[in-house]
Amino acid sequence: MSEHEFHPLVKQLLDGDITLADLPADLRAEGEEALRLLAAVDRSVVSVPAVTWRVMAGLEQRRRRVRPWLLAPALALAAALLLWIMPAKPAAPALVTVRFVLAAPDAHEVSLAGTFNRWDSHATPLVRSGPTGVWTATLTLPAGQHQYAFVVDGVRWVPDPGAPAVDDGFGRRNSVLTL
Amino acid sequence: MRPGPEADGEIVRAVLAGDRERYARLVERYRDRYARYAARMLGSADAAEDAVQDAFVRAFDQLSQCKDPDKFVSWFFLILRNRCFAERRRNRTESSLEAAESVAAADRTDGGAEAGERRRALQLALMELTPDQREVFVLKHVEGLSYGEIAERLSTSVPSLKMRMHRAYDTLREQLREHK
Repeated sequence: MSEHEFHPLVKQLLDGDITLADLPADLRAEGEEALRLLAAVDRSVVSVPAVTWRVMAGLEQRRRRVRPWLLAPALALAAALLLWIMPAKPAAPALVTVRFVLAAPDAHEVSLAGTFNRWDSHATPLVRSGPTGVWTATLTLPAGQHQYAFVVDGVRWVPDPGAPAVDDGFGRRNSVLTL
Repeated sequence: MRPGPEADGEIVRAVLAGDRERYARLVERYRDRYARYAARMLGSADAAEDAVQDAFVRAFDQLSQCKDPDKFVSWFFLILRNRCFAERRRNRTESSLEAAESVAAADRTDGGAEAGERRRALQLALMELTPDQREVFVLKHVEGLSYGEIAERLSTSVPSLKMRMHRAYDTLREQLREHK
């Protein structure tokens, strides 16, 4: 057995089969070291709320590509019905944390402009993560619909390839995020 | 009497019958739980988020192949697991640093500096395990599953899992001693 190997009884302790008190006295110190190892395990929750809309938006976008002529009237009808059936609810909007991601390997800077920052292209810079050219920003936004676009190198306005988009009336496409 | 939460199988059958929007309920139900598994496997919360998203999209695409809709989550887990293993093969070099940064971020809100340093060291040591060893450690000590539950989920035997785990314990001890 090498000096780094735990004694088989200590491994049973790590497995939860025995307790520290079950170990012989000469293994107690090793047992305590083993328990310190387990105490350092990070069990904190990893919350990824944006995954739901990203998955559903991706599925929706693919469906639109396949049968747009069928989907558009159906969505319009559904939206009209929803507005007609459901009265507006004056509730305080919930906050949702969202991560925006853009792959732009050649960009020097990327920022986010949208209805949530009054279309200020300097207000929300993205951070480049690693050498792959993926830029990200995490924002907490009120539930509801937001329109936005990425601004690459301060001049190029790019809609989010992972989200649905609408015409902004001035010849550009804005991405739409519904929380 | 209030109705209980909708069963996974019921949702899967509804989605297969054309109610695609219902799929969001499954995503909502399992995304955070499996993001933790993916984060510990990949050493990065960002990579975990991408992996979970991809796995849900793949699961949607292959939903008709889910033989037992009532066991959707076990089937989904295997898709995510494959995604995590493939990601680790692609991206081995970046993960250790991200692991430390990921844990460091958690330290700001959870416990003192010393506890944070121990968590960081363990997370780095975990990334030195083989994926098989890391997985059994994560499922048992992070997710809290028993050896029997892990064996069922991975279609393997308890003795084989224990062998992997016991090697993992030794490697972790060695790594943590080197870190001191």
